[in-house]
Amino acid sequence: MTIKNRAGLWFVIPGIIWVLCFTLFPLLYSLALSFTDKRMGRRNRPGEWIGVQNYSDIFADNRVSEVLEMTLFVIIGGVLVTIVLGTFIAWLFNHDIPGLRAFRAILTLPIFAAPIALGQLGMILFNEQSGPVNHLITGLGGEPVYWLTEPWAARFAVLIVDAWQWTPFVFIIVLAAMQSIPDELYEAARLDTANAWTLFRRITLPLIAPALGTITMLRMVETFKILDIPYTLTGGGPGVSTQTYSYYIYLTGLRNFDMGYASALAYLLVIVAIIITSIFFWRVRARYEVQ
Amino acid sequence: MSTQVSRRNAQQRVGHTLMWIAILLVTLIALYPFLWAIITSFKPQRDALESSLIPWVQFDPIMDNWKAELQTGGQENFNALKNSGIIALGATAVALTLGTSAGYGLARFRFRIGNRNLVSWFLSQRFLPPVATLIPFFLMLQRLDLFDTRLGMIIVNATFVMPFAVLITRDFFADLPKDLEEAALVDGASHRQVFLRVALPIAGPAIVAAGIICFTFAWNEFLFASVLTVRDAQPFTVKISSTGTVRGIHFGYVSTRLLMAVLPPLILSLFVQRYIVRGLTMGAVKG
Repeated sequence: MTIKNRAGLWFVIPGIIWVLCFTLFPLLYSLALSFTDKRMGRRNRPGEWIGVQNYSDIFADNRVSEVLEMTLFVIIGGVLVTIVLGTFIAWLFNHDIPGLRAFRAILTLPIFAAPIALGQLGMILFNEQSGPVNHLITGLGGEPVYWLTEPWAARFAVLIVDAWQWTPFVFIIVLAAMQSIPDELYEAARLDTANAWTLFRRITLPLIAPALGTITMLRMVETFKILDIPYTLTGGGPGVSTQTYSYYIYLTGLRNFDMGYASALAYLLVIVAIIITSIFFWRVRARYEVQ
Repeated sequence: MSTQVSRRNAQQRVGHTLMWIAILLVTLIALYPFLWAIITSFKPQRDALESSLIPWVQFDPIMDNWKAELQTGGQENFNALKNSGIIALGATAVALTLGTSAGYGLARFRFRIGNRNLVSWFLSQRFLPPVATLIPFFLMLQRLDLFDTRLGMIIVNATFVMPFAVLITRDFFADLPKDLEEAALVDGASHRQVFLRVALPIAGPAIVAAGIICFTFAWNEFLFASVLTVRDAQPFTVKISSTGTVRGIHFGYVSTRLLMAVLPPLILSLFVQRYIVRGLTMGAVKG
């Protein structure tokens, strides 16, 4: 049944056309917009061709480096924190302890919550006067942190909420990878050492490394999109300190209606996403072939 | 010998105890924000503003927040929830219809341009930054008279969640033995009949799981909804994003509303545990 067969086309064509209309077409549309000066609203301009003007403007735009700082902070920080914590929790759950399954389901709950709601939840938890986070810090003898009014503290607040939501994602994937490691490998190694850390470093880590690579790429691509959490948690503030690159595109294109420039900004992001995605597909391509 | 064994047992017990402490702590951290929201939703503003670490002591639970959100402001909330439900269900239906068929095709046929290229074609949307297509969608929906309509939002969300449907069903069919389908083909059934009558009925669990994941992501979508809807088609995520009142943030109301937003997907998620790993990694990791 895996012969080349025209009948197969009918199964995939409707979906292909859908993607053509609602993914590829908008993408090309925004590429075209990025070479125009289209604006809406008070300074309405229908959009004249201005060549690469928008792209060269990006390099003169001071705001871009500011939002890139926040974006890179969330991406690098988020990937590191979620991978370390998620791997540790997966290691805990990879032990043969009865009753763990129910806990596993509970731990995955944050993944399914709307980020926009988590931003609000964060706003309550990180509230400087009455939030439990500051209460815990002062209870332990620390100084209260100005989570929403001090730039770097606000950045950490966004990072913490994002990491809280996505650590479970790393956890279940790494756990799946760990569970596919045959027990015999550990039994053989235990003859040499009983040290849990040595076992982890010599056996577990090398064997889960491919999964960690996949997670890193998926998380990077997903974190480029981050916007919902800062939107409700900090409103991008204080100042512009928690504005991410995506957030800035959104404000430029749909608050200031400078659509040509926003499209150019977006296209740089598309190029980065395409590079990471190509690496991803190049690594896992065999999975998608028909045997 | 026996002392050695008992010492090892003792060590193991200590190890297990430590592990249980760590596991409980991790679970508490995962649940604490939700618990905090639940408790706050039963608190008057005066109590919510008081600092405490354990939220369930020293207050008299009240129903005022829930009453305000469900009765007084009920109609508006109800409309937004209804929009969210219709949009998410519609998007899920479209994504499953196109996605299951594509998933089956990709699992059972070999295409000349390469199946992996076709898979990348279907998955591309998940990897693209959505802001890149936001402005084109804004202009397109206005042109098509679909701005601020549920139909417009169904199209947008179906596009976003279709990769999950394609991938989960493709993996399911690829793992399924072909014998039954081949037998039906030998008996003279067409490929379409085989898909609809033989393969599809067995795929029930995978399709439900794919549907739940699609529904969740469409329900949670905020960015496009905030731009492409104003009032008529406004879903709940956009409704709750504007929390400020003239007198500042009312914690009780905010908690109540955010719980209404997160509870449906959280409950549904408990039914898809088996499919989470593959579904969320685009098939790159087998779970």
